[in-house]
Amino acid sequence: MNVWELAAQVMIFVLVPVAWLAGRGDPRQRLVSFYMAAVVITLLMMLLTMAFNRMPMMDLALTLALMSFGGGIVFARFFARHLR
Amino acid sequence: MKSVLIDVLLSAAVLITVISVLGMLRVRDPYQRMHYIAPPASLSSLLIAIAVFVQQGLKPESFKALFTAFVLVGMNSIVTHATARAFRIAETPNWDPVEGEEVPIHADDERVGDEKR
Repeated sequence: MNVWELAAQVMIFVLVPVAWLAGRGDPRQRLVSFYMAAVVITLLMMLLTMAFNRMPMMDLALTLALMSFGGGIVFARFFARHLR
Repeated sequence: MKSVLIDVLLSAAVLITVISVLGMLRVRDPYQRMHYIAPPASLSSLLIAIAVFVQQGLKPESFKALFTAFVLVGMNSIVTHATARAFRIAETPNWDPVEGEEVPIHADDERVGDEKR
């Protein structure tokens, strides 16, 4: 096991409390936890790419970062307009 | 030497993420929780991108990792601001001004109100 795999495994365990936070509480707290999960999964994708030496998979991390940006803005707009 | 540097960079990145998630577990207020997204999005992503550069050199995947880190840094600041504003709008009962209400649009408008007082 190289250091990239070890770091990726720790990141996977980090996702457990984040998922727990995203599944409970009021919608505002869930949304914030969802953003944290997006960041952690993006980092995880970068680490897994290096761990398994599959360099084209770095596009997945980049795509997820871009898509979570769009998703975050959409969720924020939805919150302001419909959950008042 | 190279592997030691990668170990240090990745350890720091993972440690920052773990501490941020633990901090997120600790606080209750969503406004406070938002602050804990910043360290992994800015520091950890850049540390991992630097580690990729150290491992791979000037390859396309290294620049992709760097670009991903920049996207995360930009995303975090914009989305956090937009979300905090959305929460504020959702909490405020009358966010939209009623008809005839004077709302300062420019920074100088507030001075007019101060003079009136």
